[in-house]
Amino acid sequence: MILTGSKIIEEVRNGRITIDPFVEKNVSTNSYDFHVGDLIKTYKSQLLDPKLIQEVETHEIADEGFIMHPNKVYLGSTFEIMGSNHYVPIIRGTSSIGRLGLFINITADLIDIGSINRWTLQFNASQSIRIYKRMKIGQVTFWTIKGDITLYKGKYKGTMEPQESLIYKDFEDKEHKK
Amino acid sequence: MILSGPKIDEEVNNGNITIFPFCEYLLNPNSYNYRLDKTVLVPQDSIIDPKEAMKYTTVEIPEEGYILRPDKFYLANTLEIIGSKKYTTTLIGRSSIGRLGLFLQITADLGHIGTSHKWTLELHCVQPLVIYFNMKIGQVAFWENDGKIKNLYSGEYGKCSLPTISKIYKIL
Repeated sequence: MILTGSKIIEEVRNGRITIDPFVEKNVSTNSYDFHVGDLIKTYKSQLLDPKLIQEVETHEIADEGFIMHPNKVYLGSTFEIMGSNHYVPIIRGTSSIGRLGLFINITADLIDIGSINRWTLQFNASQSIRIYKRMKIGQVTFWTIKGDITLYKGKYKGTMEPQESLIYKDFEDKEHKK
Repeated sequence: MILSGPKIDEEVNNGNITIFPFCEYLLNPNSYNYRLDKTVLVPQDSIIDPKEAMKYTTVEIPEEGYILRPDKFYLANTLEIIGSKKYTTTLIGRSSIGRLGLFLQITADLGHIGTSHKWTLELHCVQPLVIYFNMKIGQVAFWENDGKIKNLYSGEYGKCSLPTISKIYKIL
């Protein structure tokens, strides 16, 4: 089941959902509107090889905005620290952003339970687009879970700024070679 | 409700979820990581026409990997046979792959109840990207249903074990 807006407010107050800062006017009927954080990362290499550590460049979104172009991956983060040890979050863009052709995640919309931090956003622009510091960019929904809960302890735990892929670690992992 | 990792494990052992082969270390807190199989279909039409069967070439991913290009999309499939007669399946990406700009499906993330097969992936990359056979590439989540389940899926794509092109031309 998906949580309604009023249930999200209740569970934030009960400490069972983290949204920080939390502003009640950003609660929608069944989601919460979040904002983009101040930093954007891009990969230095055009060709991306998952086996290699990728070097990145960090950009700060200026007052006049930051332009994203098609055919380039931009990593941002949520401005809010979010997550829950009780519900599973799913993120998506707001329709206002979707109508401008901007993806805010690349197929990876499901957040692990127990992942409480600034989530990395994966931007892909269909047309060149300017984004502004701390603009409203996406929505998070919260879903009930069935079964025993094990909390996320993975390699991205606790990240507070855009985090590039650490997939190269998969290829060092002995389990992977089984 | 979405199933937790331990619940997915339990339901695989009970036979209510099919994931084959199943490796416990690929479980996440609320999903399961699937891997990439060996075959990739590369569309050859410059304009795709839904009234006609898509023309494509078939590539086997070599040891050194295969480079995807942003101006194309590709069909591949999961290494695992995945499905359930009890739960609804959704196909999602892994953030490690999303962070490299690879879409694994094109808006079509919802699976049918009742079918177990190797799932076709719709690959599209933002920047050129190398893919490898057997790499962990995406995740699958399972959801409880509300309501009676009847008419388990018996459609066009239910028995696929290789990447399968769109069959929409059959109805147009």
